[in-house]
Amino acid sequence: MSESSENLAPLKPGQRRVTLSDALAEITAFEQENRLDEADDLASRVLIAAPEQPHVLHMAGIIAYRKGRFGEAIDRMEKSMRLAPEVALYPRNMCEIYRGAGRLDEALQSGRHAVELSPGDSRAHFNLALIHYERLELDAAMAVAEQALALDPEFAEAHFEKAEALLLGGRLREGWESYEWRFKLKQAEGMLPKTGKPQWNGEDLAPGRLLIVADQGFGDCIQFARLIPWATAHAPAATLACSHDLVPILRQIPGISTIINSWDDAKDYDCYIPLSGLPRLASITTENIPDSGGYLQADPEQIESWGKKLNRLAAPNKRRIALVWAGRPSHKNDRKRTLKLSQFSPLFTIPGITLITVQKGDQIAQAGGYFGAAPLLNLGPEIDDFTDTMAILKNVEHLVTIDTSVAHIAGAIGVPTSLVLPYAPDWRWLLNRNDTPWYQSIRLYRQKKPYDWSGVIENVAKDLG
Amino acid sequence: MLKTALCGCGSGLRETRCCDSNAAAWPETGSAEILDPMAAEASKLFSEQKTREAETLLLKLLDLAPNHRLALRLLLELRKAANINPATEVLGRRLAALPGTAVQATAANLALAQWLIGQNRHAEAEPAAREALKNSPRDPTAHHVMGAVFSEAGQLRQGEHHYRRALALQAREDGTLLGNLAWNLKLQGKLEESAANYQRALAIRPDNRRAIGGFAQLEAARGNYDHAGKLLDAALEETPADRSLRLLRVLLDLILKRPEAVLERLDDTVELLPPELIARGQACLALDRTADAIAAFAMAKQLQRERFGRQYAPNTFIARAAQYRAFFTANRLAALPKLPAMEPPQPVFLLGFPGCGTSLLEQLMAKIPGFIAGDELMPIAELLSLPAFENYPDCLLDFLIGDGLDRLAALRTQVLETLGTACDASKEHQFITLRAAGDVWHLGLIKMLFPEAPIIHLLRHPLDVAVTNFSREKQLEADCAVSLKALAQHFDLTMSMIRHYRGQLTLRYLPIRYEALVEDPAAALREILEFIGFDAAIPAATELRANGAAAAGRVPNHAVVQQPIHDRGIGRFRIFEAAAPNLFSEIRPILAPWIEALGYAS
Repeated sequence: MSESSENLAPLKPGQRRVTLSDALAEITAFEQENRLDEADDLASRVLIAAPEQPHVLHMAGIIAYRKGRFGEAIDRMEKSMRLAPEVALYPRNMCEIYRGAGRLDEALQSGRHAVELSPGDSRAHFNLALIHYERLELDAAMAVAEQALALDPEFAEAHFEKAEALLLGGRLREGWESYEWRFKLKQAEGMLPKTGKPQWNGEDLAPGRLLIVADQGFGDCIQFARLIPWATAHAPAATLACSHDLVPILRQIPGISTIINSWDDAKDYDCYIPLSGLPRLASITTENIPDSGGYLQADPEQIESWGKKLNRLAAPNKRRIALVWAGRPSHKNDRKRTLKLSQFSPLFTIPGITLITVQKGDQIAQAGGYFGAAPLLNLGPEIDDFTDTMAILKNVEHLVTIDTSVAHIAGAIGVPTSLVLPYAPDWRWLLNRNDTPWYQSIRLYRQKKPYDWSGVIENVAKDLG
Repeated sequence: MLKTALCGCGSGLRETRCCDSNAAAWPETGSAEILDPMAAEASKLFSEQKTREAETLLLKLLDLAPNHRLALRLLLELRKAANINPATEVLGRRLAALPGTAVQATAANLALAQWLIGQNRHAEAEPAAREALKNSPRDPTAHHVMGAVFSEAGQLRQGEHHYRRALALQAREDGTLLGNLAWNLKLQGKLEESAANYQRALAIRPDNRRAIGGFAQLEAARGNYDHAGKLLDAALEETPADRSLRLLRVLLDLILKRPEAVLERLDDTVELLPPELIARGQACLALDRTADAIAAFAMAKQLQRERFGRQYAPNTFIARAAQYRAFFTANRLAALPKLPAMEPPQPVFLLGFPGCGTSLLEQLMAKIPGFIAGDELMPIAELLSLPAFENYPDCLLDFLIGDGLDRLAALRTQVLETLGTACDASKEHQFITLRAAGDVWHLGLIKMLFPEAPIIHLLRHPLDVAVTNFSREKQLEADCAVSLKALAQHFDLTMSMIRHYRGQLTLRYLPIRYEALVEDPAAALREILEFIGFDAAIPAATELRANGAAAAGRVPNHAVVQQPIHDRGIGRFRIFEAAAPNLFSEIRPILAPWIEALGYAS
């Protein structure tokens, strides 16, 4: 730390003396490089030396937040705002922290305060737009996003936020236009081929000249795959580029001539189109979504094989309810959509059921701590790919799931499904309805309050019981 | 400079001639023969019971030749007689390791194995017993010792084999051997055969108190309480100071619900040993003297720890848990081969921490046609003792390669044949119940071998589990029954292991609550049969509750405590807590997460 030389304590071996600004720069660098443990360690040590330094508190708060210590993060950042109420950066970031912690009233207050302090800061407006979306104040979200765009017309995230608000509000045609900005987002890098060739505009092409790119997450790809037949009606024998996991199910879709997993395998083509770009080209609205009754099929042999296995592993005369409670942790909205298995407890006491969990990933471990009344069969470890999931779902009476790819699979094969949604859901589930034009077999159960699942699972259980 | 420090083992030899000696520097056997006359002199002194003079001479002799066989053997006898255990063990092992004839090697190894068995260290005795047998395959004593080692390790079939070989090789029947065989047979549930052997054993040696005690326990297991009592009473009349027989008598009194008789026999003016204190505590409980009971149990545990040096030894199991958690993950197990479903008889694994009611469940299931009780047979543990599993669990990765699936199938066949033979399973038996406590550690291997075997997990309020084990005399894994805290810690460890496996494996798993089992045994059995998908007649509720009918087929060892079903064990911890409010203060924080997770919080 920087001190007057006469007060400096002698250094111990291994110690070095740095200025506060250097220490802050180092903390920031660690944070930006995702070296959170080192950032946390250094921030904690600097805080001991400078407990009232607002920017140290601010950075230490951000790091604590990223390490999942929300309470500590908020305490530190609130203190930084009290110590330096004139710094706009603090409420701007604070509003995101409050949002992450589910404290939307305080988030809104912070967001507004940041905009007041720095009305020319497009990111402050953008952050405020996010809060309005979370509060389902869609008009306000769009208006604030527009303000951000007025300050920075190339602000891709603001465009995307506006798109999400439009789509969630059911204004699909307008939404698809803004939705095109998604490829300028940082996280979209690598999703599209590095080529000078144009994006397809929907015009007719000769056979084999179109490359369709399964660009988004698994759920999106399954959802938009229904539009491949529309695309191949205009551009026959298209090539589909998708991840290895999706091949077994997307190859069912008619009109595809070749499926590739690597850009290097893409043969000559005239133009490309991301799957998520098809709704715009096909002018999709809530009224003309094709194949909402289903457009994928599970393999009959796999259905039979899993049926026999389930008959052996689960009590044969019980109703089978499949369950998924957690999503991929790296998903940007995972905290909003993912529950703990124990939060589904209203299901556990439904008489005469067996829970068949088709959960995958690390969260599968929660099945080990389940001791509810209904028997639970943890099938996840034996599921190899989506075709297994489809075949299993064809052997259950019903699926209860959070908003994850399994919901799309169930919808695409017509399995009755209860889908539990956060207060501000992903745009595709729209608002104020318990059905979805995308999938006839899915019934929606929405949070009544942000980050509050009370009553939601109870309603699912009531309808199932 | 001469190093004169005496060895810490207590042999009396210098360190450099004992535990810190360099065997390569010992004299050749031929050279050491020059000292034979001195050894003969020591032997003579020993025979004349001039032990001090003998010892002095032996120490000098062994200082010159630490490998002199006769001198070593004599010093070993002196140290054994003086109960200097470390020295006895060191000298015994040194003697057993000396090169020599087969007869010499047999004698030295047998002496070591028998001494270790006497110390209750059966597992450690196994290598010496094996060595003796390899050197003298037709030595009845070697077979007898091997039989004892296997029997105590729970490998009963192997134990029986060696006892029977010993009998066949002996010139005349040995009552001790017959008694040991009878005990082995009792443990296997072969009660009639066991009784016949006890009768033969006692006909040869009517004063064999160990056999009398074993026979009395067998008779109790067969429901012949009167005969059991008469056997014990007669023996106690002859030797009233025999505390083992007295203990068996009070255990019989407890079964016969005579708690006053127990208190009379175990007069609290005499210092009691832990098993006696436990029995006394049980009698107090039966008389609603809970505070006295808790005091007796607590004293028993304290004595076990402080006087007998027993302590909870969790480190092996903690390390094992960490190793297995790291190895048995969903991803890794998905890659390992799994055998297809199998023809009956199929094992049904009964999991449950001791005191959760697996014995009761097995007793009840054995009454259902098609089921046979495997009790604590340990086919999985036996499998793991094979050389192929030395590097377990990493060795499982070998099954990924080449003929892995075939080798796995062969192992499963081996396990099933073992089980079928041990249980006398016949064609009508569809299921063999197994309840070895160690199976909880090996659900990963069980999944590979028996991918669709039903696993029934007995759950019970964790504080009732603690109380049950606190109030009984049973040595548990890692010696965790020596204190309430150790019980709670080991419960947590084993439940965490089950949680891990359930989270990483697709198991055909059904939890059954002890409370539900004792409240409505028929309903619990129906639930199990429904889960297994097996249609069979369940005995009438009253018959189940009486729990008196003999199982069809093999009689589980725990039949000795078979008694009508009662619900006094539900919530017993509350009675204990009312009498001793701070009894659970140390273990509640350990068990609270499980109380919550298992649904016992409300």
